Amino acid sequence: MPSTKKSRFLQLCIIVMLFAVPVSGYSMDDDDCLGCHGDEDSVAANLFIDQVSYGITDHAELGCTGCHEGVSDEHPDDGLIPSLVGCVDCHEDIMEEYQAGTHSDNAECGDCHNPHKAFGFADVCCADMNDQCAGCHDAEDVYKAHNEWLPQTKLHLAMLPCISCHTDSECQMVVWYIVKNTNVARLADVEFVEYNELEKLAMGKNVQSLVDLDGDDFISLAEMKVFNKNPKYKSFRLQGRLSSECASHTLTTFDNRWDCCFCHCSGPESMKKSVVALPTEIGTFKRIEVEEGAVLSILNNSPDFYLIGATRSFLLNIIGLLIICGGLALPFGHGFLRFLTRKNRLGK
Amino acid sequence: MEKKNMVYLNTTPIRIWHWINALGIITLCLSGAQIRFPEYITLLGSYKSVILLHNTAGYVVTVSLFIWFIYYTFVTRTLAKLYVPTMDDLKNGVIKQVVYYFFNFFLGRGENPHHPTPDSKFNAMQKSAYLAVMVGLMPLVCVTGILLINVDPVRQYIVEMGGLKILVSLHFLVGSSLCAFLFTHMYLSTLGHSPMAHIVTMWTGWEEEVEGHGGSTDSH
Repeated sequence: MPSTKKSRFLQLCIIVMLFAVPVSGYSMDDDDCLGCHGDEDSVAANLFIDQVSYGITDHAELGCTGCHEGVSDEHPDDGLIPSLVGCVDCHEDIMEEYQAGTHSDNAECGDCHNPHKAFGFADVCCADMNDQCAGCHDAEDVYKAHNEWLPQTKLHLAMLPCISCHTDSECQMVVWYIVKNTNVARLADVEFVEYNELEKLAMGKNVQSLVDLDGDDFISLAEMKVFNKNPKYKSFRLQGRLSSECASHTLTTFDNRWDCCFCHCSGPESMKKSVVALPTEIGTFKRIEVEEGAVLSILNNSPDFYLIGATRSFLLNIIGLLIICGGLALPFGHGFLRFLTRKNRLGK
Repeated sequence: MEKKNMVYLNTTPIRIWHWINALGIITLCLSGAQIRFPEYITLLGSYKSVILLHNTAGYVVTVSLFIWFIYYTFVTRTLAKLYVPTMDDLKNGVIKQVVYYFFNFFLGRGENPHHPTPDSKFNAMQKSAYLAVMVGLMPLVCVTGILLINVDPVRQYIVEMGGLKILVSLHFLVGSSLCAFLFTHMYLSTLGHSPMAHIVTMWTGWEEEVEGHGGSTDSH
């Protein structure tokens, strides 16, 4: 080949490569995916992804192709369903833990968890946690099964996340939620107050300022008292729920949970730690630490939480003891003098 | 020679009520202590069983209190006469009893100023104490206890009235007061002419009044 022809051929190859390489290396990015999947009108309901919720998950950092590796740039015209990586690829420890229990025979990860809304444990509220279980476990069946042995069944089921007993988490804490009554006739009906309502209540200020007056991400006993006593918030209140501090995937009923003592004999020491969980704009909850003593305080701080056996006041114990000692003073005092003066009554 | 008069003081319904009430209150004190201090007291079995026992005893005592009130108010119609102290009781009767129990009794002189009869079973101190217990403390502990068993339907009202812990505290303090009363009551029941005299009376209904000793003097 003459040199001129050879150089022209090389130039042509370079030009072709310059155009071809970007085209073959192009792949969809998250914006492309969410352009369709983030629009309710463009995709079926089961393929819709709430961009706000998804954006705050750890999964969003991986990007769509982090899990859907095989998606092509021709999607969806290629007619192929994008492949999925298994959760086990990243969550090996959890999978091992989960597969040791009976739940793994009946439910896969996706049956309980929406990977596009995979929030952290502290980001969800008590009711949200139980929603995962309610997907399979019918509420009536759950009530019947517990009512066979559990006293105050309705109260326990309403106030506790299922995982308090059905995972091996042994650390409990009290989580305060802002609730309001939904039905004046049935006083027990309460619902968690949502962000929009709290935003109105805060009147333009940060919702957190309703309970955290100085905005230091710490709620003192005084701040909690101000919220509880504020007549503007009369229809709202902080309601405590006993919750696990963490959760595992060993979903079963542990032997020690049949014993009421697991919670009720935990003593006042276990009642020191508590957090307020406030709803956020994006549907999650933000936890703010509360000063120690809020759970045990008799006045002002926690009118709507009591765990029999554990939430007892030391001061009240002392007062009760003094009262009982007062009752014993007569038998012991009078009895002692009666013994000493017994001779005075002989023959009478 | 001592002459013994037998006086029928306590009718059968009252005696049955008294002993059911006594058993109920002792059960409530013991089970209540275990419920409040479960890490330290395990006298009555598991936590679940002790709560069941406490709740059952609570309902029994509540019904018993109700029957007591109906019986004395509408059947015998003697509630006011027997239990409400008169002005004379408050001005003189209480002082006389105090002087007797805490002075003359030890010196072995005089006799109990009060002689029980079916129309006047209690001395001025007893009237005051029993009125406070039966019309004040007992209804209060029963109402707070029933509310605690049934928190859910009235949760909002409880919260508005100060909260669950106020209710529990009230129940605990009144319970402690009744426990204190129980010790005092049991001791005072031994101050008859013999340590068992008043207790036997409460069992048989018949009070043995020994002339020359006063109705409730103690010789031991």
